Amino acid sequence: MANQPTLDVETFETFRNWRLKRADYAREWKQRTRGKIIGYFCTYAPEELMYAAGILPVRILGSHEVQDVTEPHIFAMFCPFCRDCLAQGLKGRFNYLDGITIAQSCLHIRQTFTSWQKHIPIDYSYYLPMPHHVQSRHATPFLTKELGVFRESLETWLGRKIEDKAIDNAIEVYNRNRQLLWEVYKLRLEPDPPLTGEEAMEMVLSSQMVDKRDHSDALESLLTRLPQRTSTRPTGTRLMILGSEDDDIEFIQMVESCGATFVVDDHCTGSRYFWNNVERSEDRLASIAERYVKRVPCPTKDWPTRTRVEHVLKLVKDYDVQGAIVMQQKFCDPHEIDVPALTKALNGAGVKTLFLEFDVTVPIGQFKVRVEAFLEMLQEDDLF
Amino acid sequence: MASKAKYKTAPLKTWEKAKELRLKYYEDYAKAHERGGLRWAGGAWSFSAVPSGLGEDVWSLTSEPYAASIAANKSLSLKCLEATEKAGYARDLCAYMRNYWGSILLDEYAFGGSFPKPDFIWQDHICCSHAKWYQVVSDLEGGIPHFSMDVAVGPYKDVAPHKIDYLVGQMHDGIEWMEKITGRKYDDALLIEAVKNEFRSTSTWAEICALNKHIPAPLEEKTMYSLYVHGTLNKHDRAVADFYDELLAEVKERIAQGIAAIPNERCRLMSDTQPPWGFLKIFRYMEEYGAVSVGSLYTFGLIGIWEDKPDGSWGPRTTPMQKGIEIKDRDQALRLYADWTLSKPEWQHFYSPHLKTEMMLRIAKEWQLDGVMLHYNRGCEGLSVGIAENRLGLIEAGHPVMSFEGNMGDEREFDEARVRDRFDAFMETLGVKRNGNT
Amino acid sequence: MITVGIDIGAKTVKVVVAQDGKILGKGLVPAGMDTTASTQQALDAALADASVGKGKVEAYTATGTGRKDCALTDNQITEVGAAAKGMTRLMESCRTVIDVGAEEGRTVRCDAGGKVIDFAYNEKCAAGAGTFAEGMARALQVSLEELGPLSLTSNRAVQMNAQCAVFAESEVVTLIHNKTPREDIARAVLDAIASRIVSMVRKVGFEKDVALVGGVALNPGFVEAMKRALEMDVHVPAEPEYVGALGAALAAAE
Repeated sequence: MANQPTLDVETFETFRNWRLKRADYAREWKQRTRGKIIGYFCTYAPEELMYAAGILPVRILGSHEVQDVTEPHIFAMFCPFCRDCLAQGLKGRFNYLDGITIAQSCLHIRQTFTSWQKHIPIDYSYYLPMPHHVQSRHATPFLTKELGVFRESLETWLGRKIEDKAIDNAIEVYNRNRQLLWEVYKLRLEPDPPLTGEEAMEMVLSSQMVDKRDHSDALESLLTRLPQRTSTRPTGTRLMILGSEDDDIEFIQMVESCGATFVVDDHCTGSRYFWNNVERSEDRLASIAERYVKRVPCPTKDWPTRTRVEHVLKLVKDYDVQGAIVMQQKFCDPHEIDVPALTKALNGAGVKTLFLEFDVTVPIGQFKVRVEAFLEMLQEDDLF
Repeated sequence: MASKAKYKTAPLKTWEKAKELRLKYYEDYAKAHERGGLRWAGGAWSFSAVPSGLGEDVWSLTSEPYAASIAANKSLSLKCLEATEKAGYARDLCAYMRNYWGSILLDEYAFGGSFPKPDFIWQDHICCSHAKWYQVVSDLEGGIPHFSMDVAVGPYKDVAPHKIDYLVGQMHDGIEWMEKITGRKYDDALLIEAVKNEFRSTSTWAEICALNKHIPAPLEEKTMYSLYVHGTLNKHDRAVADFYDELLAEVKERIAQGIAAIPNERCRLMSDTQPPWGFLKIFRYMEEYGAVSVGSLYTFGLIGIWEDKPDGSWGPRTTPMQKGIEIKDRDQALRLYADWTLSKPEWQHFYSPHLKTEMMLRIAKEWQLDGVMLHYNRGCEGLSVGIAENRLGLIEAGHPVMSFEGNMGDEREFDEARVRDRFDAFMETLGVKRNGNT
Repeated sequence: MITVGIDIGAKTVKVVVAQDGKILGKGLVPAGMDTTASTQQALDAALADASVGKGKVEAYTATGTGRKDCALTDNQITEVGAAAKGMTRLMESCRTVIDVGAEEGRTVRCDAGGKVIDFAYNEKCAAGAGTFAEGMARALQVSLEELGPLSLTSNRAVQMNAQCAVFAESEVVTLIHNKTPREDIARAVLDAIASRIVSMVRKVGFEKDVALVGGVALNPGFVEAMKRALEMDVHVPAEPEYVGALGAALAAAE
């Protein structure tokens, strides 16, 4: 931690503490509001609907600890992230949850949900068949109907109706948070961004763990100071990280200690989480559905056209990215299938890539060797 | 000293026909252009009756069985796999997909000649890889018109009009798209006929599998793979529906005559997920113990369509025709087709392994099984998803279960000696001895 | 009745001469390339150890990876069955036998009579097994025999981050460069192996009394790592490498 830039004490520390002490936050929130908490596994979960019901939706993540409890439940060839998440559940680390939900995307994480349903006591669970053919004009009408079914299910569980006004309010709350996150990300466009990739990761991760209102208040406070913040470290090489689920702070720290800064990302716990807003229309559920259908997609939903490639290339251009670290959880098929096309497109745009497979824990020493070699190569390119 | 045979056996009369039909299928696809026809490629679960509306000269290449054919040819498979890896694709991806891509990269058709490029892609998407498989195929072939249909609307027990609408909406769009790219006018009569053929073939296949409840089983799984395969090639084709009718009659005859699949049936098992295609001889090894695999949810429910019968047993689903329903137009045909296909047993576990466990327990009971062999198939996430929970569910219900890791399409991940070892240990646990040996 | 059990493993051949459930003599020989020759050698050694003439032996049974090629007998029992029989003979209260050898790890649940209830083998993603330990010992520049006692002098748990055996060896080198005390690294290595093995054990569950057998059970550091991972006491018989052969000898008497 020696190379740590001075954190903005008020805000980045707040984000970090929310992440490290998420269980405390959750318990305190429950006591204060008497509300229920639902854990979700994938960013396609329609949080606005749950929030409108007075529920706090929180993202279930792993712990980056080696474990030996999931083998009876999930075959080891499935990704380490889904097994790590299940291990947390089996070890009681999420015993403050009242329910769990999943909006279907990849196969691996579904197993975490279904094993959790059977083996870990929870009061409520819901599987939402989020459509995969998001490029079809039928996806939004289908999801709208499914959201209606989900709404009824929540209402039955809670024993009360979810008012339209509450949905309007939830959309506003979520849109506000996303807007603020963008504004922080916009600051990373600058030649010397006033925040590191590590700080950005703390910010985005914590938004998936707390009430968006609390998070937005912290963001607003941050935004009054951040533009004036001067960097205490050289930016170095401007990097992007993209890929599957990634919340490995230790890795980000390591890379940024080697003379580089992550200026933008496209992964499942990063910008893909908040990149798109709900555009309000007459039909509330339809407008929520539209947001999830049209958002930057997970590879499982990015077909027949690979729209994500275009999106990534635009980020590369806007953020003046010099190199990209393409990561994925070990065994992640959807990302693996896209990697050759993505890499080709990035290389074609003059951006070199370093591919790394992540596991529950990563061999930092070995990864550092690769990252340093990559950065050296990029720096030499710069000279010519 | 081998023990005296308990039952009489006889080869299947329809065996040669089964082989011919399959080879003809692959030949038809390759020769489509010569005949002025069209050819398309897509998954075995693509709603294959739909492109039939483009004409009587439309042939298909379904991806999974084609890839399995490559996998059964170990030297070709290795070449294909290595070509795919050289092109930058990861080794833990779907094994079928890697074999298939390799075939294109090497420009080698597994049935001779160069790889025949399809005119369009008509695909279904249920596992994570399906539609993306063909994204890469299109890349490799320099661009092919590609339509994939999302079928993942939830388990059949929750079927509702809006789910059918979603499927049917995509199919309507797909038909319009097909007309545009082929320049052909769609013929609803051909669609209706194809859909009816498919109802018939998939229901009849289930009926054939249900006959294996008989002791001794008239069929065993290794043979069944060569019979069910037609349901994965062109189940919408009249020839396949007719073939299954013929096969059904023969299997009934075998039962009447007391003909068994293996002469010394002593231990009835079921398997699960695709077998390791390059090592089907493991089934012959099992026979040395008098152990027979009478089927699996995979063999029964990948193409077979089932329902609860009035007597509470699991049997073939009654077709719309059998219910006296007359199919009059395109939309009605597509709706019936969507509902029929959504009830496919092998689609339910995508939403919950516990649904699959229920079906497996049913098979174990109604087919009177002594044990279960689970292939933890590294080559297919779609069918292995949740398999560990299936194992727990079966054990909880008191069924002996053996599991083994392997790969349906990558022989480098299958250790034959070790699997035999595990099987030996399993038989020991069940108290079943090898014929004449310990 | 005097019987002989032959365990033809990947690295060694073990032979036990038994009578009425008691071990009369044992022999162990490296398997080498010619297992017929090494089996004969081990048998001769065991008979000599038992002071029993070959003619007195009434039945043979073979187990281990090489059992099918055993020239001396067609009678076989799998390693799973042999482990259950052998261990319950040595310890009546044993209900779980965890067998960790050079190449494979197995776990067996059995009943009071030594009958197998369920079993599991380690699969591909397991870095468990003796060969891995050997590689790590090399990286630490200690002998395999020293690895266990070295790890016992550590009182700090250091997590090995590499999940894959391929990276693990170079991670050990990194840990050494970072001046991590060698005893802590040794312990981390053994904890990593134990974690893989226990992952497999949990698949079929475990019930006391738990026994640990096979070559790797001779490593006291590994035994401690297993106790920590299982959160339960683990019993290692006096000569864990002979349990399979004993089980085979008992099977021969049936």
